[in-house]
Amino acid sequence: MRANYLFPYNTRYFGIALILIHIPIKLLWDHYYPNGYDQSPSGKAGFLFSAPHLFFIGTTLMMLVGLFLVAFSRQRVEDEQITQLRLDSLRWAIYLNYAILLFGLIFTRGSESNHILILNIWLPLLFFILRFQWVIYRLNRSARSNDSDSRL
Amino acid sequence: MKNSLHVERAIKKMTQAELADQVGVSRQTINSIESNKYIPSTLLALKIARVFGKSVEQIFQLEKKDL
Repeated sequence: MRANYLFPYNTRYFGIALILIHIPIKLLWDHYYPNGYDQSPSGKAGFLFSAPHLFFIGTTLMMLVGLFLVAFSRQRVEDEQITQLRLDSLRWAIYLNYAILLFGLIFTRGSESNHILILNIWLPLLFFILRFQWVIYRLNRSARSNDSDSRL
Repeated sequence: MKNSLHVERAIKKMTQAELADQVGVSRQTINSIESNKYIPSTLLALKIARVFGKSVEQIFQLEKKDL
């Protein structure tokens, strides 16, 4: 059996918790600094250790680690069909990501381009999770509808 | 590719879940194979054939569109 480099099943709950914790923190920050962190009181000098930058890195890491854990934790039974579905979903996520990236690069400029790049940090993972969970849901629904057959 | 998995299971009076347990996959995967939505790997096909004591070709057959 080849190693599949996935996180244990239960780490998904930790990932979901990280994403859920990240949302109110980010909303509160955006409420107090509505102009974005570039224009926050700390200014540009020494930005690496400025509170806004550290906050940005902290929340981004929280969200990314959360999305990673949800996306790449094992299913209860991680068999070859699940591996296939994972690969398909990953392919669609990459297609969508590059379509949006190209569209953004062509039709935006300046700070708008930065927003597209920031979007690209989490969009592929989010799309992967949604697509993967959707096909698993459909698979389970199909199996349930054939339950009478399985019991003979 | 078509298969006679459903028939073989019926002969052995085996549920999808029982077959899934024996070959180490989920019940959903067995269901997908039976409804021709998923083509198993050679390894899984061999494992399934072994459960029924038959050769792979007796359970899985190529169709015209596969040729």
